[in-house]
Amino acid sequence: MHGLGQILLQNRSGVLDAWLARLRDTAPGAQPASLQLLKLELGTLVEKLTAYFLAGDGDGAGPAFKSVEEQAATISAACARDGLTPMETATLILSLKTIAGELLDRETSAKATELYRMRTALDAGVDRLALITFAAFVETREEIIKRQGRALLDLATPALPIWRHIILMPLVGVIDTQRARQVMEWLLEALAREEAHIAILDVTGVPLIDSRVALHLTKTVEAARLLGSRVIVTGISPDAAQTLVKLDVDLSSMITRGTLRAGLAEAFRLLGRHPKDPIETSL
Amino acid sequence: MSREPDVVQPDAVTVTVTTEIDVAEARQEARRLALRHGFGTVRAHGLATAVSELAMNLVLHTARGGQIRLTAQDAAEAAVIELVAEDDGPGIPDLARAMEDGFSTRGGLGCGLAGTRRLVDTFAITSRVGEGTRIVCLVRRP
Repeated sequence: MHGLGQILLQNRSGVLDAWLARLRDTAPGAQPASLQLLKLELGTLVEKLTAYFLAGDGDGAGPAFKSVEEQAATISAACARDGLTPMETATLILSLKTIAGELLDRETSAKATELYRMRTALDAGVDRLALITFAAFVETREEIIKRQGRALLDLATPALPIWRHIILMPLVGVIDTQRARQVMEWLLEALAREEAHIAILDVTGVPLIDSRVALHLTKTVEAARLLGSRVIVTGISPDAAQTLVKLDVDLSSMITRGTLRAGLAEAFRLLGRHPKDPIETSL
Repeated sequence: MSREPDVVQPDAVTVTVTTEIDVAEARQEARRLALRHGFGTVRAHGLATAVSELAMNLVLHTARGGQIRLTAQDAAEAAVIELVAEDDGPGIPDLARAMEDGFSTRGGLGCGLAGTRRLVDTFAITSRVGEGTRIVCLVRRP
């Protein structure tokens, strides 16, 4: 496909300009700054594609195509971060077929069979790039979602030492298996670290307590008991209480209180202390 | 179900459940649907919990998950929400035992199905080994 490479090389700036015009059509809302960056990346892609066609037979596979593929993936990731839809991104890549195809029709004096071969090679190459773009796009988005998920996990479960020997863990949001496991781990860790006797687990921010969540709560309470600590669960809503009774979940192993205030009072009672007692800062 | 002439267009939601995130979505939809049709917060909470139990069963016991379908019908005096959980999973070999309190094959509390039956007004379950399970519940607003 040397001929195809030559034509691309001679008309590089023309191809790039036409492509950038397409870019403005496909993504009218894109920021000028990101357009500037995309322009550079697209330029590199055209260069690499040209080099590939100049060097090889253009079967769109093998290690020679690798660097072109990587560049396409880079562009796709940039598009994903800039908020272009996968459709817009794929359309952008596919439009190279039209642009370069028109160029070939205009520039080449080759025979029809030769022209046909060039176009087939070009189409195969760009199609493959579009597929890669799509895969890379999804990958980038998934990576973003995963990162957000991890970030949420990190900030969702703080264990706060609120008094000597008392820690508070407010749970906010949906408790799935992973969260539940983490809550248990962190709670036990905090109990040991703070030498706490009482942990208050506040579930005011948990939208729903089903048998699964109840099971995790029971396990956490049981594990804390093995460490010699008591867990007080607070903030079960009246709605949740009525539902839990119907579900017939056995929560008798744990101390529960309606509000955090009542839970704290219970914690003081268990410790044999009064809130007005002076806070002991050391033993 | 027979339809009364004064019944308006049913309000329906379907959630495909394969992972735990879908369970959360299904119960949010259930809660919203119940509140939208004038159910009290206790009833809405109960329905959401029933959905949560059934959806979690889909995640735990089937390889490919299943569907939670919620349909609300408003009549002049009352409203009813139909909850259908359906899968083409392994099926339940011993339905009577599965409905018992405290029976679990996966280390749960074993009150999922039995508890769900107590949370809804009518409960019907059919299951064939190797073909799947279908649970239909009704929750009424008086």
